[in-house]
Amino acid sequence: MEHKKTPQSENQIPIVQQVISVLWPSFLTAGIATIFTFTFFDPQEIVLCTGHEAQINRLGIYSLGFFLFWVLTSSSCALTCYFRRPVRPH
Amino acid sequence: MKKSRSVDVKPPVVDDGSFYAKHQKVYPRQVSGLFASLRTTGVLVLLSLYYFVPWLKWDDRQAVLFDLPARKFYVFGITFWPQDFFYLAMLLIIAGLALFFFTSLAGRLWCGYACPQTVWTEVFLWIERKVEGSRAKQIKLDKADWGRRKLRLKITKQSIWILFSLWTGFTFVGYFTPITTLGQELVNLSTGPWETFWIIFYSFATYGNAGWLREQVCIYMCPYARFQSAMFDRDTLIISYDEQRGEPRGSRKKGSDPAIQGIGDCIDCTLCVQVCPTGIDIRDGLQYECIGCAACIDVCNTVMEQMDYKMGLIRYTTENTLNGKRTHVLRPRIIIYATLLTGLTVLLLYMILTRSPLELDIMRDRNTLYRELPGGLVENVYTLRVINKSEKERRFQLSVSGIEGLTLVSKQTLIPVAAGEVVELSASLRLDPVVLKRPSNKIQFILESTEGDPVKATQESRFIGPVIR
Repeated sequence: MEHKKTPQSENQIPIVQQVISVLWPSFLTAGIATIFTFTFFDPQEIVLCTGHEAQINRLGIYSLGFFLFWVLTSSSCALTCYFRRPVRPH
Repeated sequence: MKKSRSVDVKPPVVDDGSFYAKHQKVYPRQVSGLFASLRTTGVLVLLSLYYFVPWLKWDDRQAVLFDLPARKFYVFGITFWPQDFFYLAMLLIIAGLALFFFTSLAGRLWCGYACPQTVWTEVFLWIERKVEGSRAKQIKLDKADWGRRKLRLKITKQSIWILFSLWTGFTFVGYFTPITTLGQELVNLSTGPWETFWIIFYSFATYGNAGWLREQVCIYMCPYARFQSAMFDRDTLIISYDEQRGEPRGSRKKGSDPAIQGIGDCIDCTLCVQVCPTGIDIRDGLQYECIGCAACIDVCNTVMEQMDYKMGLIRYTTENTLNGKRTHVLRPRIIIYATLLTGLTVLLLYMILTRSPLELDIMRDRNTLYRELPGGLVENVYTLRVINKSEKERRFQLSVSGIEGLTLVSKQTLIPVAAGEVVELSASLRLDPVVLKRPSNKIQFILESTEGDPVKATQESRFIGPVIR
Protein backbone atom coordinates (compact mmCIF):
# COMPACT_ATOMS: atom_id res chain seq x y z
CA MET A 1 0.00 0.00 0.00
CA GLU A 2 1.30 3.36 -1.00
CA HIS A 3 0.62 5.76 1.77
CA LYS A 4 4.03 6.37 3.24
CA LYS A 5 3.53 10.09 3.70
CA THR A 6 4.93 11.73 6.80
CA PRO A 7 2.86 10.75 9.80
CA GLN A 8 -0.14 13.00 10.13
CA SER A 9 0.37 15.38 13.01
CA GLU A 10 -2.36 15.49 15.63
CA ASN A 11 -4.03 18.61 14.33
CA GLN A 12 -4.48 17.11 10.88
CA ILE A 13 -6.92 14.61 12.30
CA PRO A 14 -10.50 15.92 12.22
CA ILE A 15 -11.87 16.85 15.61
CA VAL A 16 -14.76 14.35 15.21
CA GLN A 17 -12.23 11.58 14.80
CA GLN A 18 -10.29 12.71 17.88
CA VAL A 19 -13.37 12.77 20.09
CA ILE A 20 -14.60 9.46 18.71
CA SER A 21 -11.21 7.81 19.17
CA VAL A 22 -11.52 8.46 22.92
CA LEU A 23 -15.22 7.86 23.53
CA TRP A 24 -16.00 5.03 21.15
CA PRO A 25 -13.34 2.34 21.86
CA SER A 26 -13.84 2.97 25.58
CA PHE A 27 -17.60 2.52 25.12
CA LEU A 28 -17.05 -0.86 23.44
CA THR A 29 -14.57 -2.14 26.04
CA ALA A 30 -16.69 -0.83 28.92
CA GLY A 31 -19.63 -2.77 27.46
CA ILE A 32 -17.60 -5.97 27.31
CA ALA A 33 -16.25 -5.42 30.84
CA THR A 34 -19.79 -4.89 32.14
CA ILE A 35 -21.07 -8.06 30.50
CA PHE A 36 -18.23 -10.14 31.93
CA THR A 37 -18.37 -8.65 35.42
CA PHE A 38 -22.09 -9.02 35.90
CA THR A 39 -22.27 -12.45 34.30
CA PHE A 40 -19.95 -13.79 36.94
CA PHE A 41 -20.90 -11.55 39.87
CA ASP A 42 -24.45 -10.90 40.88
CA PRO A 43 -24.74 -7.30 42.21
CA GLN A 44 -27.13 -8.63 44.86
CA GLU A 45 -24.36 -10.82 46.24
CA ILE A 46 -21.77 -8.03 46.09
CA VAL A 47 -24.08 -5.85 48.19
CA LEU A 48 -24.68 -8.70 50.66
CA CYS A 49 -20.92 -9.20 51.00
CA THR A 50 -20.49 -5.61 52.13
CA GLY A 51 -22.90 -6.30 54.98
CA HIS A 52 -25.81 -4.21 53.72
CA GLU A 53 -29.15 -5.91 53.57
CA ALA A 54 -30.96 -3.36 51.48
CA GLN A 55 -32.78 -4.57 48.39
CA ILE A 56 -31.06 -3.06 45.39
CA ASN A 57 -32.17 -2.38 41.87
CA ARG A 58 -30.07 -4.65 39.64
CA LEU A 59 -30.70 -2.55 36.54
CA GLY A 60 -29.36 0.49 38.41
CA ILE A 61 -26.20 -1.33 39.49
CA TYR A 62 -25.62 -2.61 35.94
CA SER A 63 -25.99 0.92 34.58
CA LEU A 64 -23.73 2.47 37.23
CA GLY A 65 -21.20 -0.32 36.67
CA PHE A 66 -21.23 0.37 32.96
CA PHE A 67 -20.62 4.10 33.41
CA LEU A 68 -17.90 3.48 35.97
CA PHE A 69 -16.15 1.22 33.46
CA TRP A 70 -16.69 3.82 30.73
CA VAL A 71 -15.09 6.54 32.85
CA LEU A 72 -12.09 4.27 33.49
CA THR A 73 -11.66 3.10 29.90
CA SER A 74 -12.16 6.56 28.42
CA SER A 75 -9.59 8.07 30.81
CA SER A 76 -7.12 5.48 29.62
CA CYS A 77 -7.98 6.25 25.96
CA ALA A 78 -7.63 9.98 26.62
CA LEU A 79 -4.24 9.50 28.27
CA THR A 80 -3.05 7.41 25.33
CA CYS A 81 -4.09 10.18 22.94
CA TYR A 82 -2.40 12.78 25.13
CA PHE A 83 0.90 10.91 25.37
CA ARG A 84 0.92 10.25 21.64
CA ARG A 85 1.55 13.95 21.02
CA PRO A 86 5.13 14.81 20.16
CA VAL A 87 7.17 15.77 23.23
CA ARG A 88 8.72 18.72 21.40
CA PRO A 89 6.66 20.59 18.87
CA HIS A 90 8.55 20.96 15.57
CA MET B 1 3.50 -12.20 0.15
CA LYS B 2 0.72 -10.22 1.75
CA LYS B 3 1.08 -7.51 -0.83
CA SER B 4 0.30 -9.83 -3.68
CA ARG B 5 -2.82 -11.19 -2.02
CA SER B 6 -4.44 -8.16 -0.48
CA VAL B 7 -6.30 -5.60 -2.48
CA ASP B 8 -5.17 -2.02 -2.54
CA VAL B 9 -7.68 0.05 -0.63
CA LYS B 10 -7.10 3.77 -0.56
CA PRO B 11 -6.89 5.41 2.86
CA PRO B 12 -9.45 8.11 3.70
CA VAL B 13 -8.58 11.55 2.46
CA VAL B 14 -7.90 13.91 5.33
CA ASP B 15 -8.89 17.53 4.92
CA ASP B 16 -6.00 19.86 4.27
CA GLY B 17 -4.62 20.59 7.68
CA SER B 18 -7.38 22.75 9.10
CA PHE B 19 -7.96 21.91 12.75
CA TYR B 20 -11.73 21.95 12.58
CA ALA B 21 -12.10 19.92 9.42
CA LYS B 22 -15.52 21.01 8.25
CA HIS B 23 -17.75 18.08 7.50
CA GLN B 24 -19.50 18.36 4.15
CA LYS B 25 -23.02 17.00 4.35
CA VAL B 26 -23.65 14.19 1.89
CA TYR B 27 -27.00 14.32 0.14
CA PRO B 28 -27.49 10.87 -1.37
CA ARG B 29 -29.77 10.93 -4.38
CA GLN B 30 -32.63 8.43 -4.42
CA VAL B 31 -31.94 5.37 -6.51
CA SER B 32 -33.96 2.47 -7.81
CA GLY B 33 -32.87 -0.81 -9.29
CA LEU B 34 -32.07 -4.38 -8.40
CA PHE B 35 -29.71 -3.68 -5.50
CA ALA B 36 -31.84 -0.84 -4.15
CA SER B 37 -34.82 -3.23 -3.97
CA LEU B 38 -32.64 -5.84 -2.28
CA ARG B 39 -31.57 -3.28 0.30
CA THR B 40 -35.12 -2.06 0.87
CA THR B 41 -36.23 -5.65 1.39
CA GLY B 42 -33.39 -6.18 3.85
CA VAL B 43 -34.23 -2.97 5.69
CA LEU B 44 -37.93 -3.82 5.93
CA VAL B 45 -37.36 -7.40 7.10
CA LEU B 46 -34.78 -6.40 9.72
CA LEU B 47 -36.79 -3.46 11.02
CA SER B 48 -40.00 -5.45 11.30
CA LEU B 49 -38.09 -8.14 13.19
CA TYR B 50 -36.61 -5.53 15.53
CA TYR B 51 -39.89 -3.75 16.29
CA PHE B 52 -42.10 -6.84 16.30
CA VAL B 53 -40.16 -9.55 18.16
CA PRO B 54 -40.50 -8.06 21.69
CA TRP B 55 -44.29 -8.21 21.33
CA LEU B 56 -44.31 -11.97 20.66
CA LYS B 57 -45.69 -14.18 23.42
CA TRP B 58 -44.56 -17.64 24.53
CA ASP B 59 -46.81 -19.33 27.08
CA ASP B 60 -47.57 -16.47 29.45
CA ARG B 61 -44.44 -14.45 29.00
CA GLN B 62 -42.54 -12.42 26.42
CA ALA B 63 -40.98 -14.82 23.89
CA VAL B 64 -37.64 -13.01 23.65
CA LEU B 65 -36.69 -11.23 26.85
CA PHE B 66 -33.21 -10.61 28.21
CA ASP B 67 -34.39 -10.16 31.75
CA LEU B 68 -31.37 -8.43 33.27
CA PRO B 69 -33.01 -7.62 36.63
CA ALA B 70 -33.85 -11.30 37.13
CA ARG B 71 -30.56 -12.51 35.59
CA LYS B 72 -32.10 -14.82 33.01
CA PHE B 73 -32.58 -14.74 29.25
CA TYR B 74 -35.71 -16.15 27.67
CA VAL B 75 -35.41 -17.13 24.03
CA PHE B 76 -38.70 -18.76 23.04
CA GLY B 77 -38.89 -22.08 24.91
CA ILE B 78 -35.44 -21.94 26.47
CA THR B 79 -34.28 -20.10 29.56
CA PHE B 80 -30.61 -19.24 29.85
CA TRP B 81 -28.93 -18.53 33.18
CA PRO B 82 -25.58 -16.83 33.85
CA GLN B 83 -24.09 -20.35 33.98
CA ASP B 84 -24.86 -20.64 30.26
CA PHE B 85 -22.48 -17.82 29.35
CA PHE B 86 -20.55 -20.32 27.24
CA TYR B 87 -23.35 -20.40 24.65
CA LEU B 88 -23.20 -16.63 24.25
CA ALA B 89 -19.43 -16.72 23.81
CA MET B 90 -19.83 -19.42 21.17
CA LEU B 91 -22.54 -17.45 19.41
CA LEU B 92 -20.22 -14.44 19.22
CA ILE B 93 -17.42 -16.58 17.74
CA ILE B 94 -19.87 -17.89 15.12
CA ALA B 95 -20.98 -14.34 14.31
CA GLY B 96 -17.33 -13.30 13.89
CA LEU B 97 -16.59 -16.25 11.61
CA ALA B 98 -19.69 -15.51 9.53
CA LEU B 99 -18.43 -11.97 9.05
CA PHE B 100 -15.02 -13.28 7.89
CA PHE B 101 -16.67 -15.78 5.55
CA PHE B 102 -19.05 -13.35 3.87
CA THR B 103 -16.43 -10.60 3.64
CA SER B 104 -13.93 -12.87 1.88
CA LEU B 105 -16.63 -14.12 -0.44
CA ALA B 106 -18.54 -10.99 -1.35
CA GLY B 107 -16.95 -7.98 0.32
CA ARG B 108 -18.90 -5.61 2.51
CA LEU B 109 -22.30 -7.33 2.22
CA TRP B 110 -22.92 -6.64 5.88
CA CYS B 111 -22.32 -2.89 5.52
CA GLY B 112 -24.43 -2.46 2.42
CA TYR B 113 -27.49 -4.43 3.39
CA ALA B 114 -27.70 -5.45 7.05
CA CYS B 115 -25.71 -3.16 9.36
CA PRO B 116 -27.99 -1.29 11.79
CA GLN B 117 -26.19 1.91 10.80
CA THR B 118 -27.22 1.39 7.16
CA VAL B 119 -30.72 0.22 8.05
CA TRP B 120 -31.56 3.15 10.30
CA THR B 121 -29.83 5.67 8.06
CA GLU B 122 -32.04 4.43 5.19
CA VAL B 123 -35.13 5.13 7.30
CA PHE B 124 -33.88 8.59 8.25
CA LEU B 125 -33.05 9.38 4.62
CA TRP B 126 -36.51 8.21 3.60
CA ILE B 127 -38.13 10.53 6.17
CA GLU B 128 -35.86 13.36 5.02
CA ARG B 129 -36.93 12.84 1.39
CA LYS B 130 -40.62 12.64 2.29
CA VAL B 131 -40.42 15.96 4.14
CA GLU B 132 -37.83 17.98 2.26
CA GLY B 133 -38.09 16.46 -1.20
CA SER B 134 -35.45 15.23 -3.61
CA ARG B 135 -31.69 15.75 -3.33
CA ALA B 136 -31.75 18.99 -5.32
CA LYS B 137 -34.59 20.38 -3.18
CA GLN B 138 -32.71 19.45 0.00
CA ILE B 139 -29.55 21.23 -1.13
CA LYS B 140 -31.58 24.27 -2.14
CA LEU B 141 -33.43 24.30 1.17
CA ASP B 142 -30.22 24.14 3.18
CA LYS B 143 -28.75 27.04 1.21
CA ALA B 144 -31.90 29.14 1.55
CA ASP B 145 -32.29 31.77 4.27
CA TRP B 146 -34.26 30.84 7.32
CA GLY B 147 -37.89 31.61 6.62
CA ARG B 148 -41.28 30.26 7.51
CA ARG B 149 -41.16 27.39 5.03
CA LYS B 150 -37.67 26.25 5.96
CA LEU B 151 -38.50 26.40 9.66
CA ARG B 152 -41.68 24.41 9.14
CA LEU B 153 -39.94 21.70 7.09
CA LYS B 154 -37.00 21.42 9.47
CA ILE B 155 -39.24 21.21 12.54
CA THR B 156 -41.41 18.56 10.87
CA LYS B 157 -38.39 16.48 9.88
CA GLN B 158 -36.77 16.74 13.31
CA SER B 159 -40.02 15.88 15.10
CA ILE B 160 -40.55 12.75 13.00
CA TRP B 161 -36.90 11.77 13.51
CA ILE B 162 -37.18 12.25 17.27
CA LEU B 163 -40.46 10.33 17.55
CA PHE B 164 -39.06 7.49 15.48
CA SER B 165 -35.90 7.45 17.63
CA LEU B 166 -37.96 7.36 20.83
CA TRP B 167 -39.94 4.41 19.53
CA THR B 168 -36.64 2.72 18.66
CA GLY B 169 -35.28 3.39 22.17
CA PHE B 170 -38.49 2.13 23.74
CA THR B 171 -38.31 -1.09 21.70
CA PHE B 172 -34.67 -1.55 22.69
CA VAL B 173 -35.46 -1.33 26.41
CA GLY B 174 -38.43 -3.63 25.72
CA TYR B 175 -35.95 -6.43 25.06
CA PHE B 176 -34.70 -6.09 28.65
CA THR B 177 -37.83 -5.35 30.67
CA PRO B 178 -41.27 -6.74 29.73
CA ILE B 179 -42.46 -4.49 26.92
CA THR B 180 -46.20 -4.54 27.71
CA THR B 181 -45.57 -3.31 31.26
CA LEU B 182 -43.07 -0.78 29.93
CA GLY B 183 -45.67 0.43 27.43
CA GLN B 184 -48.27 0.93 30.16
CA GLU B 185 -45.72 2.73 32.32
CA LEU B 186 -44.81 4.95 29.39
CA VAL B 187 -48.45 5.86 28.81
CA ASN B 188 -48.81 6.75 32.52
CA LEU B 189 -45.38 8.47 32.45
CA SER B 190 -44.27 6.24 35.31
CA THR B 191 -41.27 4.39 33.85
CA GLY B 192 -38.47 3.67 36.31
CA PRO B 193 -35.48 6.05 36.32
CA TRP B 194 -33.08 3.58 34.66
CA GLU B 195 -35.59 2.50 32.03
CA THR B 196 -36.24 6.17 31.19
CA PHE B 197 -32.52 6.83 31.04
CA TRP B 198 -31.80 3.94 28.65
CA ILE B 199 -34.79 4.78 26.41
CA ILE B 200 -33.40 8.30 26.03
CA PHE B 201 -29.82 7.07 25.65
CA TYR B 202 -30.65 4.63 22.86
CA SER B 203 -32.99 7.12 21.16
CA PHE B 204 -30.26 9.73 21.24
CA ALA B 205 -27.74 7.26 19.78
CA THR B 206 -30.16 6.36 16.96
CA TYR B 207 -30.97 10.00 16.27
CA GLY B 208 -27.33 11.09 16.33
CA ASN B 209 -25.94 8.18 14.30
CA ALA B 210 -28.66 7.92 11.65
CA GLY B 211 -29.66 11.56 11.50
CA TRP B 212 -26.37 13.41 11.80
CA LEU B 213 -23.23 11.28 11.84
CA ARG B 214 -24.27 8.82 9.10
CA GLU B 215 -21.25 7.92 6.93
CA GLN B 216 -18.88 9.32 9.57
CA VAL B 217 -19.82 6.36 11.78
CA CYS B 218 -18.55 4.02 9.07
CA ILE B 219 -15.42 6.08 8.41
CA TYR B 220 -14.32 6.95 11.95
CA MET B 221 -16.12 4.64 14.35
CA CYS B 222 -16.43 1.27 12.74
CA PRO B 223 -13.59 -1.14 13.57
CA TYR B 224 -14.80 -3.56 10.90
CA ALA B 225 -14.44 -0.94 8.18
CA ARG B 226 -10.83 -0.47 9.23
CA PHE B 227 -9.75 -4.10 9.09
CA GLN B 228 -12.05 -5.50 6.40
CA SER B 229 -9.44 -4.95 3.69
CA ALA B 230 -7.31 -7.61 5.38
CA MET B 231 -10.03 -10.15 4.57
CA PHE B 232 -10.18 -9.16 0.91
CA ASP B 233 -8.25 -10.99 -1.75
CA ARG B 234 -8.20 -10.86 -5.53
CA ASP B 235 -11.19 -13.19 -5.74
CA THR B 236 -13.45 -11.17 -3.45
CA LEU B 237 -16.52 -9.58 -5.00
CA ILE B 238 -16.06 -5.82 -5.06
CA ILE B 239 -17.93 -2.96 -6.65
CA SER B 240 -15.77 -1.62 -9.39
CA TYR B 241 -15.79 0.79 -12.26
CA ASP B 242 -14.55 -0.68 -15.53
CA GLU B 243 -11.84 1.84 -16.29
CA GLN B 244 -10.78 0.23 -19.56
CA ARG B 245 -14.32 0.50 -20.90
CA GLY B 246 -15.26 3.85 -19.41
CA GLU B 247 -12.17 6.02 -19.96
CA PRO B 248 -11.61 8.58 -21.28
CA ARG B 249 -14.93 9.82 -19.90
CA GLY B 250 -16.81 12.64 -21.52
CA SER B 251 -20.21 14.03 -22.36
CA ARG B 252 -21.74 13.32 -25.76
CA LYS B 253 -24.96 13.58 -27.72
CA LYS B 254 -27.28 10.60 -27.47
CA GLY B 255 -26.84 8.32 -30.44
CA SER B 256 -23.41 9.66 -31.40
CA ASP B 257 -20.59 7.15 -31.74
CA PRO B 258 -18.12 7.54 -28.86
CA ALA B 259 -15.42 5.79 -30.89
CA ILE B 260 -15.35 8.67 -33.38
CA GLN B 261 -15.01 11.20 -30.55
CA GLY B 262 -12.31 9.03 -28.99
CA ILE B 263 -14.11 8.64 -25.65
CA GLY B 264 -15.14 5.64 -23.54
CA ASP B 265 -18.54 4.57 -22.25
CA CYS B 266 -18.59 6.85 -19.18
CA ILE B 267 -20.70 9.90 -20.02
CA ASP B 268 -19.45 11.66 -16.87
CA CYS B 269 -22.98 12.38 -15.62
CA THR B 270 -21.67 12.09 -11.98
CA LEU B 271 -24.85 10.30 -10.93
CA CYS B 272 -22.70 7.59 -9.33
CA VAL B 273 -21.23 10.28 -7.06
CA GLN B 274 -24.63 11.79 -6.29
CA VAL B 275 -26.18 8.51 -5.11
CA CYS B 276 -23.20 7.53 -2.94
CA PRO B 277 -24.14 7.60 0.77
CA THR B 278 -20.48 8.15 1.71
CA GLY B 279 -19.89 10.75 -0.98
CA ILE B 280 -17.06 9.08 -2.89
CA ASP B 281 -16.37 8.70 -6.60
CA ILE B 282 -16.21 4.97 -7.37
CA ARG B 283 -14.33 5.79 -10.58
CA ASP B 284 -11.28 6.64 -8.44
CA GLY B 285 -10.95 2.95 -7.57
CA LEU B 286 -11.74 0.82 -4.52
CA GLN B 287 -11.86 3.07 -1.50
CA TYR B 288 -11.96 2.56 2.22
CA GLU B 289 -15.19 4.59 2.50
CA CYS B 290 -17.12 2.35 0.10
CA ILE B 291 -19.72 0.42 2.11
CA GLY B 292 -20.65 -1.77 -0.85
CA CYS B 293 -24.26 -0.59 -1.09
CA ALA B 294 -24.25 -0.87 -4.91
CA ALA B 295 -26.29 2.33 -5.37
CA CYS B 296 -23.79 3.42 -8.04
CA ILE B 297 -24.32 0.15 -9.92
CA ASP B 298 -28.08 0.69 -10.02
CA VAL B 299 -27.88 4.28 -11.18
CA CYS B 300 -25.15 3.66 -13.77
CA ASN B 301 -27.15 0.77 -15.23
CA THR B 302 -30.15 3.08 -15.73
CA VAL B 303 -27.90 5.52 -17.57
CA MET B 304 -26.34 2.78 -19.70
CA GLU B 305 -29.83 1.58 -20.60
CA GLN B 306 -30.85 5.07 -21.66
CA MET B 307 -27.71 5.42 -23.75
CA ASP B 308 -28.24 1.98 -25.31
CA TYR B 309 -24.88 0.84 -23.99
CA LYS B 310 -24.11 -2.49 -22.37
CA MET B 311 -24.91 -2.51 -18.65
CA GLY B 312 -22.25 -3.08 -16.03
CA LEU B 313 -19.84 -0.18 -16.49
CA ILE B 314 -19.92 -0.23 -12.69
CA ARG B 315 -20.56 -3.74 -11.42
CA TYR B 316 -19.87 -6.44 -8.87
CA THR B 317 -16.69 -8.06 -10.02
CA THR B 318 -13.35 -9.28 -8.71
CA GLU B 319 -9.84 -7.94 -9.05
CA ASN B 320 -8.89 -11.08 -11.00
CA THR B 321 -11.74 -10.69 -13.51
CA LEU B 322 -10.84 -7.04 -14.05
CA ASN B 323 -7.30 -8.12 -14.86
CA GLY B 324 -8.55 -10.77 -17.26
CA LYS B 325 -7.77 -13.70 -14.99
CA ARG B 326 -10.03 -16.44 -13.63
CA THR B 327 -11.93 -15.95 -10.39
CA HIS B 328 -11.79 -18.79 -7.89
CA VAL B 329 -14.82 -18.94 -5.64
CA LEU B 330 -13.69 -22.10 -3.87
CA ARG B 331 -10.31 -21.19 -2.44
CA PRO B 332 -8.59 -22.34 0.77
CA ARG B 333 -9.72 -19.47 3.00
CA ILE B 334 -13.36 -19.83 1.90
CA ILE B 335 -13.28 -23.58 2.48
CA ILE B 336 -11.69 -23.18 5.92
CA TYR B 337 -14.15 -20.47 7.03
CA ALA B 338 -17.12 -22.44 5.68
CA THR B 339 -16.05 -25.65 7.44
CA LEU B 340 -15.46 -23.90 10.76
CA LEU B 341 -18.71 -21.98 10.45
CA THR B 342 -20.85 -25.03 9.69
CA GLY B 343 -19.08 -27.13 12.32
CA LEU B 344 -19.51 -24.60 15.12
CA THR B 345 -23.12 -23.80 14.19
CA VAL B 346 -24.10 -27.48 14.19
CA LEU B 347 -22.25 -27.98 17.49
CA LEU B 348 -24.00 -25.01 19.13
CA LEU B 349 -27.44 -26.13 17.94
CA TYR B 350 -26.76 -29.67 19.14
CA MET B 351 -25.59 -28.42 22.53
CA ILE B 352 -28.61 -26.17 22.99
CA LEU B 353 -31.09 -28.85 21.91
CA THR B 354 -29.59 -31.51 24.16
CA ARG B 355 -28.90 -29.08 27.00
CA SER B 356 -29.67 -30.68 30.36
CA PRO B 357 -31.63 -28.60 32.86
CA LEU B 358 -29.48 -30.11 35.62
CA GLU B 359 -25.75 -29.76 36.06
CA LEU B 360 -23.54 -31.50 38.61
CA ASP B 361 -19.90 -30.66 39.37
CA ILE B 362 -17.77 -32.72 41.73
CA MET B 363 -14.60 -31.46 43.40
CA ARG B 364 -12.48 -33.76 45.55
CA ASP B 365 -11.18 -32.37 48.81
CA ARG B 366 -7.76 -31.00 47.92
CA ASN B 367 -6.15 -31.23 51.34
CA THR B 368 -6.24 -34.95 52.12
CA LEU B 369 -6.35 -37.86 49.77
CA TYR B 370 -8.24 -40.02 52.26
CA ARG B 371 -8.86 -40.34 55.99
CA GLU B 372 -8.79 -43.53 58.06
CA LEU B 373 -11.64 -43.71 60.51
CA PRO B 374 -11.62 -45.59 63.82
CA GLY B 375 -13.02 -49.03 63.03
CA GLY B 376 -10.99 -49.44 59.81
CA LEU B 377 -13.20 -47.58 57.32
CA VAL B 378 -11.66 -45.12 54.81
CA GLU B 379 -13.33 -41.80 54.05
CA ASN B 380 -13.06 -39.41 51.00
CA VAL B 381 -14.58 -35.94 51.10
CA TYR B 382 -16.14 -34.16 48.10
CA THR B 383 -17.77 -30.83 47.37
CA LEU B 384 -20.78 -31.00 45.06
CA ARG B 385 -22.23 -28.14 43.03
CA VAL B 386 -25.77 -28.63 41.80
CA ILE B 387 -27.19 -26.19 39.23
CA ASN B 388 -30.90 -26.25 38.47
CA LYS B 389 -31.40 -24.54 35.09
CA SER B 390 -35.11 -25.29 34.87
CA GLU B 391 -37.94 -22.83 35.52
CA LYS B 392 -39.15 -24.36 38.82
CA GLU B 393 -37.83 -25.57 42.16
CA ARG B 394 -36.83 -29.21 42.15
CA ARG B 395 -35.66 -31.89 44.58
CA PHE B 396 -32.91 -34.24 43.62
CA GLN B 397 -31.93 -37.60 45.08
CA LEU B 398 -28.18 -38.15 45.38
CA SER B 399 -26.62 -41.60 45.14
CA VAL B 400 -23.27 -43.21 44.30
CA SER B 401 -22.15 -46.26 42.42
CA GLY B 402 -18.91 -47.83 41.18
CA ILE B 403 -17.65 -49.89 44.13
CA GLU B 404 -19.55 -52.53 46.07
CA GLY B 405 -20.23 -51.44 49.67
CA LEU B 406 -19.62 -47.72 49.14
CA THR B 407 -21.75 -45.66 51.55
CA LEU B 408 -22.72 -42.04 51.13
CA VAL B 409 -22.67 -39.84 54.19
CA SER B 410 -24.19 -36.41 53.76
CA LYS B 411 -26.32 -34.03 55.78
CA GLN B 412 -28.93 -34.37 53.08
CA THR B 413 -29.35 -36.80 50.21
CA LEU B 414 -32.59 -35.19 49.07
CA ILE B 415 -31.46 -31.79 47.80
CA PRO B 416 -33.95 -29.00 47.08
CA VAL B 417 -32.70 -26.46 44.50
CA ALA B 418 -34.69 -23.38 43.54
CA ALA B 419 -35.09 -22.36 39.88
CA GLY B 420 -31.83 -21.08 38.45
CA GLU B 421 -30.01 -21.60 41.74
CA VAL B 422 -26.65 -23.14 42.48
CA VAL B 423 -26.36 -25.22 45.64
CA GLU B 424 -23.05 -26.34 47.09
CA LEU B 425 -22.85 -29.14 49.59
CA SER B 426 -20.24 -31.47 50.94
CA ALA B 427 -20.58 -35.22 50.99
CA SER B 428 -18.29 -37.99 52.10
CA LEU B 429 -17.97 -41.57 51.00
CA ARG B 430 -16.96 -44.41 53.33
CA LEU B 431 -15.68 -47.85 52.44
CA ASP B 432 -13.98 -50.84 53.98
CA PRO B 433 -10.59 -50.79 52.16
CA VAL B 434 -10.33 -54.61 51.91
CA VAL B 435 -12.43 -54.48 48.72
CA LEU B 436 -10.03 -52.03 47.02
CA LYS B 437 -7.83 -53.54 44.27
CA ARG B 438 -6.20 -50.25 43.27
CA PRO B 439 -5.39 -47.09 45.17
CA SER B 440 -7.52 -44.95 42.84
CA ASN B 441 -10.99 -46.09 41.76
CA LYS B 442 -13.60 -44.72 39.41
CA ILE B 443 -16.95 -43.91 40.97
CA GLN B 444 -20.10 -42.11 39.82
CA PHE B 445 -22.29 -39.61 41.57
CA ILE B 446 -25.87 -39.78 40.35
CA LEU B 447 -28.43 -37.04 40.82
CA GLU B 448 -32.07 -37.67 39.91
CA SER B 449 -35.20 -35.60 40.17
CA THR B 450 -37.77 -37.12 42.51
CA GLU B 451 -40.91 -35.63 40.99
CA GLY B 452 -42.07 -34.22 37.65
CA ASP B 453 -40.37 -35.05 34.39
CA PRO B 454 -37.28 -37.20 34.95
CA VAL B 455 -33.96 -35.36 34.91
CA LYS B 456 -30.69 -37.10 35.63
CA ALA B 457 -27.06 -36.05 35.86
CA THR B 458 -24.14 -38.42 36.29
CA GLN B 459 -20.67 -37.24 37.11
CA GLU B 460 -17.52 -39.29 37.45
CA SER B 461 -14.98 -38.90 40.24
CA ARG B 462 -12.40 -40.96 42.09
CA PHE B 463 -12.27 -42.76 45.41
CA ILE B 464 -8.78 -43.07 46.85
CA GLY B 465 -7.71 -45.47 49.58
CA PRO B 466 -4.92 -47.81 50.74
CA VAL B 467 -4.69 -51.26 49.13
CA ILE B 468 -4.60 -53.95 51.80
CA ARG B 469 -3.27 -57.39 50.84
